Amino acid sequence: MFNQKNKKISKEIIRKRLNDFFILMIICFIIITINLWYLQIIKGQEFEQRAINNCIRSLVEEAPRGEVYDHQGKLLVTNRPAVNFSIIPAEVSDYKYLVDELSLIIPIESSNIANVIQSKMLNPFQALTIKRDLEKDKIVSIEEQKYKFKGALLTVQPERKYLYQNLAAHILGYVNEISEKELKMSDFNQLAGGDIIGKSGLERYYDSYLRGDKGKKEVEVDALGREVATIKIQKPVAGYDIYLTLNSELQQFVERQMYGKRGAVIVSEPFTGKVLAMVSYPDYNPNIFTQQMSVAQWKEISENKDNVLCNRNIQSVYPPGSVFKIITAVAALEEGVVNRNSKIYCPGYYQVGDMVFKCWKESGHGNLAIVEAIANSCNVFFYTVGQKLGIDKLSYYARLMGFGEETGIDLPGEQEGLVPSSDWKKKTINQSWFPGDTVNLSIGQGFLLVTPLQIHNMLCLIANDGFYFRPYHVEKIVSQSGEIVKELKPELIKKIEVSQETFRIIKEGMKKVVESGTGHLANIEEVKVAGKTGTAQNPQGENHAWFIGFAPYDKPEICVTVLVENGGDGSAAAAPIAADIIRKYFQSKYNEMVKAEHF
Amino acid sequence: MSVELKSSNILSGKSFFNQHLRLFKHVDFTLIFLVTGLCILGLLVIYSTTHQENINEGVMQITRRQLIHILTGLFFCLLVTIIDYHDIVKIAIPLFFLSLIMLVYVIFFGKNVGGSRRWIQLAGFEFQPAEFAKITLIIFLADFLNKQKEEIPNFLYFSLPFFFTGILMLLIYKQPDLGTAIVFFAITLLMIFIAGISWKYIIAVFIILVSLFPIGWSFLKDYQKSRLLLFLNPEMDPLGAGYNIIQSKVAIGSGGLFGQGLFSGIQSQLKFLPAQHTDFVFAVIGEELGFMGALLLISLFILVLWKGIRIAQEAPDILGTLIATGVTSFMFIHILINVGMSMGLMPATGLPLPFISHGGTFMITNFIGIGLLLNIHLRSIFV
Repeated sequence: MFNQKNKKISKEIIRKRLNDFFILMIICFIIITINLWYLQIIKGQEFEQRAINNCIRSLVEEAPRGEVYDHQGKLLVTNRPAVNFSIIPAEVSDYKYLVDELSLIIPIESSNIANVIQSKMLNPFQALTIKRDLEKDKIVSIEEQKYKFKGALLTVQPERKYLYQNLAAHILGYVNEISEKELKMSDFNQLAGGDIIGKSGLERYYDSYLRGDKGKKEVEVDALGREVATIKIQKPVAGYDIYLTLNSELQQFVERQMYGKRGAVIVSEPFTGKVLAMVSYPDYNPNIFTQQMSVAQWKEISENKDNVLCNRNIQSVYPPGSVFKIITAVAALEEGVVNRNSKIYCPGYYQVGDMVFKCWKESGHGNLAIVEAIANSCNVFFYTVGQKLGIDKLSYYARLMGFGEETGIDLPGEQEGLVPSSDWKKKTINQSWFPGDTVNLSIGQGFLLVTPLQIHNMLCLIANDGFYFRPYHVEKIVSQSGEIVKELKPELIKKIEVSQETFRIIKEGMKKVVESGTGHLANIEEVKVAGKTGTAQNPQGENHAWFIGFAPYDKPEICVTVLVENGGDGSAAAAPIAADIIRKYFQSKYNEMVKAEHF
Repeated sequence: MSVELKSSNILSGKSFFNQHLRLFKHVDFTLIFLVTGLCILGLLVIYSTTHQENINEGVMQITRRQLIHILTGLFFCLLVTIIDYHDIVKIAIPLFFLSLIMLVYVIFFGKNVGGSRRWIQLAGFEFQPAEFAKITLIIFLADFLNKQKEEIPNFLYFSLPFFFTGILMLLIYKQPDLGTAIVFFAITLLMIFIAGISWKYIIAVFIILVSLFPIGWSFLKDYQKSRLLLFLNPEMDPLGAGYNIIQSKVAIGSGGLFGQGLFSGIQSQLKFLPAQHTDFVFAVIGEELGFMGALLLISLFILVLWKGIRIAQEAPDILGTLIATGVTSFMFIHILINVGMSMGLMPATGLPLPFISHGGTFMITNFIGIGLLLNIHLRSIFV
């Protein structure tokens, strides 16, 4: 039957080969066992965590931000329910299809969606917002075609609503999604991508109070996303409400005065530091940030040549012009360069070496003492005393009165401005300080740069005889249960070392400004106003018009600073606006008093 | 014991009953014990992963079905054991052609499940002809190689089996079922290797395979390509095609040393693991029974395979050796690919795990394989 010889040879080979085969098997199983050891013993904990992450889905419930009220308790900022389009990345099987279908309903840039998903996805089982705040008809369309959006869901989240649109936009600020950069900041260390934070203004400054705590629901789900069990529920806690010092009626009035202009206005109480109105114009509507903006929209608002997002009161710097003469006057009086009666002759020009500096009145003011010099804003008077004081004294008093540093107001992004000195000039432009620079500085021109708020602070110091209160917007912060979390009292920062006599002389001069001087357009029947005009030359174009004033003269209640960019003459462009504001303030006050008597 | 006394003598005895009683006494009970152990482990795991769903369908529906598969398998096992394999080999060629016909049939008339036609429905039963073809291929190749053994191994000797297998592979690839096609190829390769093909041919085959790879690649379907690519980097598409591999690895890894316990695996109980009572059943064992459980399973498999090797070595003739080799290769390939795939060591090809995975035809095929081993073992005792 068999060839015995062949069979024997074959059998032997086969026996050997079978042994080889078994060795091969053993090698394979050893590899498998080593791999099992690696997966289960060495990496076991890591994989167990991954398994747990797989099945626990945390649903975040946004906390409504705190509301914002003005000083009379009028609601300015609240929340409204908005419907967001979210996806659960793990449940979306076909992104392209989903995005294509969605783009038929909502204009979206599909490349953006992919980026959003890539950059924000922490956990593929956590809902991710793709499009915020859908319009009603879009919601209906999506609901109707629900079957097309596998893995997507509509969630209701509170969205910020600014009830009076543009009103006090720069003070209130706006909210939007946290940026990559902000995520790394310590203020926001508990936040995650996609969270909403205050981006500017009070929304930003008081963000930690307004924000509240997100609610969290952790549920166990199976692979199909069905909830199997609830593990943890944590209700969202609404943020604290904020009550402002702001008088929204006055704010609105001032905004109307500034309509069509560019500039800044601040109204505050000098003896407390409370800001009653702060206007930066042109303004914007913070509500637009709650909807997701397209790139074009963002460009339009951020690259606007009028710089609408900038709060000019604290974020822009200007030459102060003649308003600065008050500092020169204070310095001159304090340093004994002049006294109340010292007269200086103004021929209409002033000569330093071979340079000639003109007074604004070409025919000259003739002989005048400091009160008249302020009232008429005589350049030559201040050139002369400024020259006598020298740069170091001038910059000392400028700093003493708060220039060159932040005021400490409760708003983010404040600029310091610039008080020049001989050292500064040497360091930055490598030139020595010329006498002509001092002459320029003494009337608020040249290198000096200030924010309107710094000018306003100087005004308050004068009105207040040297008591410096920190300017602020928030009276109290109240929790949802009505408990006062924080109450902000007027904060006396310092008392300026300037004699009362000096303040008296300066104020007298400022009274004269309005009575008979450059600021006569601010002269109103209702109340005695003291002030100072300024017409700041600037290389960019028309002069900036300044007016600062307080009222009543003998017992100042409010201080008003008006800056009209490229408005021309301070006396003509800025003073009437200040006058209207002061009149409005005292009229409302009078009306309220009458009302109070009636009831 | 003289040569004249061997197998034919036993089967031509006077009392049929007595013969089979004698056979029964010499059955390889160790092998049966090992297989029983595997089946019980499989039933436990299947029950663990499916007990929740069955509430709607009737308690233990899938587990009960698997039990029926096992019992049916045992019946076929017994049948195959008692018929002398020399007699079975007599119909090797008709069996092979029957497989071919069924595989052609299934391409056109098979039941379409998830885009592939693998099932034949016949008289209320469903079965996969590809599984049946595995056994017929083993028998057919054993017969062929046995008949050719007189020849000094030459080119024809080793290339003809590949030709036959190639036809089967092509038909199975048409279903499409890449995994099974690979199993056919591997069985053939191993059988030829064991049959004593010279090393130079083995090396030649590998060179040809490597050089043919780019051509083969172009024949693959997109999903098959993506599976192979994902094998290299499953994180490439964690929610799409890489999902299965990642979830399976996570399941195995989370088992740790002793596992999370039956009915307590996160991945398996919450269905994050796909095909968990069929292709990814090993991951369930890894998760719920841990390293120790997986090691127990692997040990059982090694013992079964070792038994297979011993039976092949002690077979009364080359035919028996080749059949036992084929069966052992078949099981080994299935175990290797299935376990390797579950751990991300091999591309996901969707091969079931012998005696563990849920599935009727495959279970019966396994038992027929065991039947063949027992058959050869019985006949070798009297050599």
